[in-house]
Amino acid sequence: MDLGLGISKKWDYFVDKFFLFLTFLGAILVPLSLIGILIVFLKEASLAIQKFGFVSFIFSSEWDPVFEKFGGAVPLTGTIIVAFIALILGVPIALGIAIFVSEVCPNFLKEVIRLAVDLLAAIPSIIYGLWGLFTLAPIHARYIEPFLQKVFTPIPLLGKLFEGTPLGIDLFTAGIVLSIMVIPFTASIAIESFYLVPRVLKESAYGMGATKWEVIKDVMFPYCRIGIFGGIGLSLGRALGETMAVAFVLGNINNFPTSLLTPTTTVTVKLANEFTEADKDIHLSALFYLALLLYIMSLFIIASSKYLIMRVRGK
Amino acid sequence: MNLELEVKNLSFYYAGCSEPSLKNINFPIYKNKVTALIGPSGCGKTTLLRCFNRMHDLYPGNRYEGEILFRGRNILAPDVDLIELRTKIGMVFQKPTPFPMSIFDNVAYGLRLRGIKNKKELAERVEKALREAALWDEVKDKLKESGLSLSGGQQQRLCIARAIAVEPEVLLFDEPTSALDPISTAKIEDLIVQLKEKITIVIVTHNMQQAARISDFTAFMYLGELVEFGPTEKIFTNPEKKLTEDYITGRFG
Amino acid sequence: MRERVLKIRKLTSTTILTITGLCALWGIFWLFFIIFDLIRHGIASINLSFFLEVPTPPGEPGGGLKHAFIGHLLITLGAISLGIPLGILAGTFLAEYGRNYRLSNVISFLADTMVSVPAILIGAFVYAIMVKPLGHFSGWAGSVALAIIMFPVVIRSTEHMLKLVPWTMREAAFALGAPYYKVILQVLYPAIKTGLLTGALLAIAREIGEAAPLLFTSFNNNFLSYNMNGPMASLTVTIFVYAMGPYDYWHTQAWAAAFVIALTILVLNFIARIILKGGKH
Repeated sequence: MDLGLGISKKWDYFVDKFFLFLTFLGAILVPLSLIGILIVFLKEASLAIQKFGFVSFIFSSEWDPVFEKFGGAVPLTGTIIVAFIALILGVPIALGIAIFVSEVCPNFLKEVIRLAVDLLAAIPSIIYGLWGLFTLAPIHARYIEPFLQKVFTPIPLLGKLFEGTPLGIDLFTAGIVLSIMVIPFTASIAIESFYLVPRVLKESAYGMGATKWEVIKDVMFPYCRIGIFGGIGLSLGRALGETMAVAFVLGNINNFPTSLLTPTTTVTVKLANEFTEADKDIHLSALFYLALLLYIMSLFIIASSKYLIMRVRGK
Repeated sequence: MNLELEVKNLSFYYAGCSEPSLKNINFPIYKNKVTALIGPSGCGKTTLLRCFNRMHDLYPGNRYEGEILFRGRNILAPDVDLIELRTKIGMVFQKPTPFPMSIFDNVAYGLRLRGIKNKKELAERVEKALREAALWDEVKDKLKESGLSLSGGQQQRLCIARAIAVEPEVLLFDEPTSALDPISTAKIEDLIVQLKEKITIVIVTHNMQQAARISDFTAFMYLGELVEFGPTEKIFTNPEKKLTEDYITGRFG
Repeated sequence: MRERVLKIRKLTSTTILTITGLCALWGIFWLFFIIFDLIRHGIASINLSFFLEVPTPPGEPGGGLKHAFIGHLLITLGAISLGIPLGILAGTFLAEYGRNYRLSNVISFLADTMVSVPAILIGAFVYAIMVKPLGHFSGWAGSVALAIIMFPVVIRSTEHMLKLVPWTMREAAFALGAPYYKVILQVLYPAIKTGLLTGALLAIAREIGEAAPLLFTSFNNNFLSYNMNGPMASLTVTIFVYAMGPYDYWHTQAWAAAFVIALTILVLNFIARIILKGGKH
């Protein structure tokens, strides 16, 4: 209905609808890409899925491009083991840093350490990998690993962990490099979670005569538990998907690691090394099969971790 | 006294609510007069104000019942062009919201929306609006500076200048001085009294003294209903309803 | 007895908190170690020819990485022109037009998840949809892969920035009779422009260091090429190839490239921080 006031704005309505459409297209690209990746991987892996099935692919450790026999057991376990080593070494340190920054250190240090954490996080993984290859691995090979071998070999169970020739290119080095990468990420999320603890809660605990550590242990940790688990989950997701930091120092040998000092491979490392060299369709398909499995695993872990964190933030 | 707007049997439901936030409101808005909407928090005065320029339409699910007549035509009808409506009925908000642009561009924004491009015309109308908003002298040398560089009171006058630059027939004020200091408040109150020569004003205020100072007519609302409407002087000195009297004398709210 | 218990509790607390301090030291130690090494190896190998010359045949020391610099620049430009506008548009939908719909919450969550998808998988994806059908590697494929990585990052920061703008500003524009797209383009975008710029810079800083997604998309090229339709060299892939290669001079060049990348990321982050601080007056 025209109010009889003059100007007609049909053009504006048209442009508005068009812009709405554009932005919607952009937004819908998100779920489309995620689903698209899944579908594409399924299609590319179908050859291998048909030939090797699911269970036998996961449990077979053969990876033979010549005889066209492929099984993902080694890279899959490698991926999980490396990630876990990284978490075991990195998460406690990250939590320690988070506690230090939020509860212990004097104010002027807080900014400095947070800056250091941010810097660590900003270093791209390829630089971690490069450094791991040229600096850390030789040091490991020459000093650290022989030392650890000497210390642990007499001990029955732990000794097994350090068998083998200390060459530096192995699970141990990869785990250490990855753990350093995991630290800043987990620390940031933990610091944020600690920050959310209401002051009154801490004060009531102090008021009852609790020591600082007891307040952290009995009040803060339980309060932030979910958020921190989410943070650890996210770090796990990242560690599983890391390529460059690990590719330089893991060796890409398709064998189960018998100790920390043996080289092995992960899904990402295998992909990085073999993708462009795979000239047989079945080889490529097997690689895509691995990619598919990693994708599903990562999505699941990342989505559930984000969900946990979302719950905590009350978004 | 001419009738500018007439509210007829107006009820309003927020999205998802089965209970109306405005219940069967009836009263007139007279041309070139200041009408104040007063009442305790939550009485619906802001909700009512936002019906006049259909701000509620921005949020899906809101529902109007009844009519608001503007020169004989119901502006709540679904086929009304909202952009056109808002050229004639403008609004100034509680918190000053200068746009992230220069002072000049802020005031010129509404004009540019209407397709006015002539630099001379824009400059003239911007100056006119700033003068009417009693801001010209303070900003005439810094028109290119950001609107955000002004003080709170100045920002609010900037928003007023912006609203009157497009020469609306009606101007709605939603608690325009509640975020300002007393001196800025006084300046804006003077401004409103001057503006009514040309524009019809509807103002929501929780400050009764303000309503008494500057309005010609007052509507007192309570819990979504219009309790009483009349000339300001009468409402404040000799109200008909006891509820009105209790509010005026400060027994509640 | 209570005295003793109290002493033990205090001791435990102090000990553990000292350990946390050691953790912080551990983190800082590695940071300095890596940065020190980077500078030590990197600076030694940087000279003008590094930037200006193309590589020598394998085995012959000398030459530079000009081809990788240019290739990386081209790929990055392609990624930016694809990823940033799409990201801003999508973020705009989530914060504005679509803000009342549950779908937007879902998409927002998915975008957040997409940020952490392993980069190499995105490379594999683009390989399957672009490289394989076309039959060859290309700089464009590399740009697409990097764009996919930047896309959710830009969405999140755009959405976040838009949501920070108070509602009354939009209402003031609507009250003047502006249609939604004008409110967005003429009022909202200018209001968040510092935030958008910072977000873009940080997104770029992130994807500059990526190697995995380029491995099977833009692949590598030992020669200088401006042809985005064919394989292109990039700094990161070159680092990968050179570091694993047999020649010493390749190794030094890899360090130099790493140094340049790290410096660029540092500078971008620094600029972003300054812009952010400057924008808040």
